[in-house]
Amino acid sequence: MNRSWNLDRRTFLRGAAGALVPLPFLNIMENSVAKNLSGETVPPVRFMTLFKPNGVHPPSWNINGGTEFDFRTSPLMAPFAKHRDDLLILDNMGDFGFSSHSNSSRRFLSGAHQNTKSASMDQLIADKVGSETPHRSLELTTEGLFTNQIGCSYISYDREGAPIPRESDPQLIFDRLFRDPMSDPKQRKSMSSLLDRVRDDAKSIQRKTGREDTETLDEYLTVLRETEKRLDNRDAISGASKVDFSKLERPPSPANLNEQVESMLDLIALAMWTDSTRCISYMLGNSNSRMIFDFLGVTEQHHYLSHFFRNFSRHNIDGLLKISLWHMEKFDYLLTKLKSYKDHHGTLLDHSVVLFGSGMGHSDNHTAQRIPIVLAGKGGGMLKTGRYLRYSKNQELSRLHLTLLQKFGVPATSYANSTTPLPGLDGGPFEEYRERPFQSWSKIENGKITVQGRLRMSDNLDEAKVFYIDVDGKAPVRIEIEFKDFHSFNVAYHVGTPILMTGNSSQKDGQIILSKITGIKSLFGKNDPGGAPG
Amino acid sequence: MENPLTWLRLILVNLSLLSLLGASEFELEVRPFLEKHCLRCHGGEKTKGHIDFSEIKSMSDAESHHELWEAVAAVIEDQEMPPDDEPPLSDDELALLPNWYQKVFLSDIEARPTIFKPRRLSGPEYRNTMRSLFGFDLEVNVIEAEQTVAEKSLVLKLLPTDPPGPGGFINDTSEARLTTTIWDQYSYLTDVALERYFSDTETIDPETVLRDFLPRAFRRPVSDDQLQSILKDLADLSGESLLPALKLEIKNILMSPAFLYRGFSMPVQPGQSRQPVDPFELAERLSYFLWEDMPDAELFELAKSGQLTTPAVYRRQIDRMLASEKSISLAESFGKQWLLLDQITDDRGDPVTIHALQTQPRDFLYYLFTQNRPVMELIDSKTTFANHVTAAFYPGDRKQLKGVVRPRGVERIRAPNQQIELVNNPERGGILTMPGVLAMNKGPILRGTWMLRQILGEHLGEPPADVPPIQSSPKGKNLTFRERFEEHRANESCALCHDKIDPLGFALEAYDTRGKFAPVSKETELLIDTSGQLPGGKDFTNFMELKQILMTSRREQITRNAVERLLSYALCRKLERFDRPTVDALTTQIVETNGTWQDLIHGIANSLPFRETIINSSTTQP
Repeated sequence: MNRSWNLDRRTFLRGAAGALVPLPFLNIMENSVAKNLSGETVPPVRFMTLFKPNGVHPPSWNINGGTEFDFRTSPLMAPFAKHRDDLLILDNMGDFGFSSHSNSSRRFLSGAHQNTKSASMDQLIADKVGSETPHRSLELTTEGLFTNQIGCSYISYDREGAPIPRESDPQLIFDRLFRDPMSDPKQRKSMSSLLDRVRDDAKSIQRKTGREDTETLDEYLTVLRETEKRLDNRDAISGASKVDFSKLERPPSPANLNEQVESMLDLIALAMWTDSTRCISYMLGNSNSRMIFDFLGVTEQHHYLSHFFRNFSRHNIDGLLKISLWHMEKFDYLLTKLKSYKDHHGTLLDHSVVLFGSGMGHSDNHTAQRIPIVLAGKGGGMLKTGRYLRYSKNQELSRLHLTLLQKFGVPATSYANSTTPLPGLDGGPFEEYRERPFQSWSKIENGKITVQGRLRMSDNLDEAKVFYIDVDGKAPVRIEIEFKDFHSFNVAYHVGTPILMTGNSSQKDGQIILSKITGIKSLFGKNDPGGAPG
Repeated sequence: MENPLTWLRLILVNLSLLSLLGASEFELEVRPFLEKHCLRCHGGEKTKGHIDFSEIKSMSDAESHHELWEAVAAVIEDQEMPPDDEPPLSDDELALLPNWYQKVFLSDIEARPTIFKPRRLSGPEYRNTMRSLFGFDLEVNVIEAEQTVAEKSLVLKLLPTDPPGPGGFINDTSEARLTTTIWDQYSYLTDVALERYFSDTETIDPETVLRDFLPRAFRRPVSDDQLQSILKDLADLSGESLLPALKLEIKNILMSPAFLYRGFSMPVQPGQSRQPVDPFELAERLSYFLWEDMPDAELFELAKSGQLTTPAVYRRQIDRMLASEKSISLAESFGKQWLLLDQITDDRGDPVTIHALQTQPRDFLYYLFTQNRPVMELIDSKTTFANHVTAAFYPGDRKQLKGVVRPRGVERIRAPNQQIELVNNPERGGILTMPGVLAMNKGPILRGTWMLRQILGEHLGEPPADVPPIQSSPKGKNLTFRERFEEHRANESCALCHDKIDPLGFALEAYDTRGKFAPVSKETELLIDTSGQLPGGKDFTNFMELKQILMTSRREQITRNAVERLLSYALCRKLERFDRPTVDALTTQIVETNGTWQDLIHGIANSLPFRETIINSSTTQP
């Protein structure tokens, strides 16, 4: 196959600086697609994953009510809601319990935090799809290593379950993809001529001196010879290495986190489109990210703000939501970028699967349920998008992983704790969450209250640590508790579901307040929080 | 060997260096002695204490292991070797090796420089040189959030970490060969630097660029011919084709041996083998010694005008360079490598704590090196450095620290150290009781070994691999670690080293594994036994008394070690037999005058091996 494409220098679209240039819509993949059994051409399917640190503020993220086709996206989903037809929003994903930060990053691509001796699912997919491209996979991040709990810094793990080093610098990645003499023929040519010239320099030194220097010069000349040999060998190989990338523009040095991330997302799309690799994992931050988003006007650390119950103030909640919205905007940025590239008879996103999400739900008490997970892209027909799947029961992430592995052709029959795939992703039947009818009521005796009804978080951000239980025909009961109660009864887990709660009650300005929980019982689900400590 | 000249040169070198007598003595007497008495345990199959005499076949081998013989002579004189179960030595045999050592390595020695050898820049030297050349640092884009760690330097991230050379420091690159991996990274780093250097230039005048760049890159003037020959290649180019061509020219310079190595371009004095290094080589030596970096404009100009070798000018330059911020490399690179400070860590791997523990000795060393402090203040000083993390180790004196402001919602910060005077914490002061140094060496054996090797400069062998673990207390007895260890090391061959190690280490037992001063045992509620006796009979009851012994009767030994380490770092090589007179003279000077680090630095910068070299021009091709 002949792939002597000439990429226009405008191909590399810089979004960070705000100046959008016309889309090239070069159909770069036309010549490189495979054919299926019936002779139709089939483009390769790419896999990308985007990790969001520090969980979410659940009332801003969760979709309340709604069914598979009839649902309203939540406030935090607003930045990427325009891609609704390309999304598969999953709900009720996770274990039942709490998660540490480092467990949450392991869970995200390894299915369960105990799955520490095998490869993460992205790496298993890379094994399957990575052999034909110059780069098997890329593992990317934004932030330095958090050495106290090293697991916070990694989502991708190799066959032994050991973390794979990540790269954070867009320029370095660009150069690795498009400026390496081993991948770029022009670079090889320039290196060859350089070798000739420095060899002359070395020889003239040799003639001039001839002292003890000869030995050192020999070492130098040997390296020149070996480098030449490697270049010649590479030139002899045909195929991908002949593509001329020299007109692609190197991303500028980023001025802040936003530019760094947007440059990297640009590169992810470009790497996929040029078929430099078919598998990329990218962390928007460590799972307990300590980053400061000063360019958003937020001067507190993300991790501190994410503990919004304990560190409650309206100011802190505002800061946290700004950061979360920024994460969602970056997801949108990637999807928009993937759609901007024409690929075969569709867009790059049509032939991709993007897994976006986190490894924990509630960011303060670290519940490992209702973990935000969104799939984007049809994966060349693997996924039926435009839907919201709220499963009837908690689904471990490993079930989702097993399904994706199988869809990518990895011959896996089990992954982590799961032996059966997650139904419904391709439009097939699945057991949807259905609320059974229940009655709501409340009873107060001697300062003790028993109340049955649906638990919800306050939608007033001024009181974001307050919950309510709605009671038919009465004012809702206000739940105003200390963190200790909130955590030990795993109140976050029950949010959105009907419960029976008992506790101490008081009244203020006619409002009934439950201030201390003595018991909590789910009407239809599990009661015991259990699991790893938060 | 392909080149007969190389052969010839080796012979000439060896003839010129070794006395024939020394060589024949080795062949006729020492070698047979080693074969008869030593080789059974220290050569071939067995290499007890990792000492292998079978490797030493000739006088030239013996010379390259010169540091070994002092210890060998000592154990024979003290009749510690051969051990009791081996045939004893006759009186003649007893004297043979010590006499030979005295004669060949001490009495007959005349100071001389080494043969000139170009040396590739180490990773940090390359980083700094590129920074000075281009005026910016090559950095990685990564968010350095608090409590995270990231290698910020693109150079250090991409280049393989240099191993310490035979001299013990990474600037001795004599065995860190250039490889294709390093070559690729040099090429890449050069591209990145050039891309940025020319990123916002509108009009380029190649002559201006090259006139500025060439001499700085080569660290010496460039002839007009050389400049013109490059300019000629660029003469017909303009507009879009000029910049790539100019970049290639500069890349060519930065990939050439004259840039990547030091010393290829030094001119040779005709007909002289031993000669002073030329002013530009001297400027480079000084600048890589004190700054780990290329000479700056002032130093370069003084080399050019010939004034640098004027003693007063030379002296002023050294003082100026020490006063510059760039001399932090003496602490960052020399100090850290000498005292193994990058091994300082924290049980929980907390970067903020590690940062505090590592920067404390660094700042202390920088103060000693550049504030004209006596060499011996390394061991005993009234000044230290601390921040809010290490403050807890100085309960009596921490009040001197000014508070640090922690921004709202930021959990932990890395704060700079502040200088404090030790008034109420007599248990601190000097490098040995710095919390990081104590925490890095867990337990008395590691602490003693570290002190012997890094501070007293003794060459200890490695412990044998087959040592059984230390027994737990027998039933009914509640023995301390120290008591159990005494039984464990009763073995004679263990005692050889442990007699030296243990008293030093156990004297620090009043400091717990994290470096906290805790003189009373938690279990027994009694004062911990920190007493001991140094070989040679000096008794002490606690570390404070041991420190006094170190400051007095061990002063010479500690100073000598400091001299040897710093000289080795300055020369970027292992010290040789013929460096001994230089070391002796510097040691005596410092000991007798209670000399400072600055005195020592001046002494080294004026020493014969630093100022002179030997060019073996007999093999120079016509």
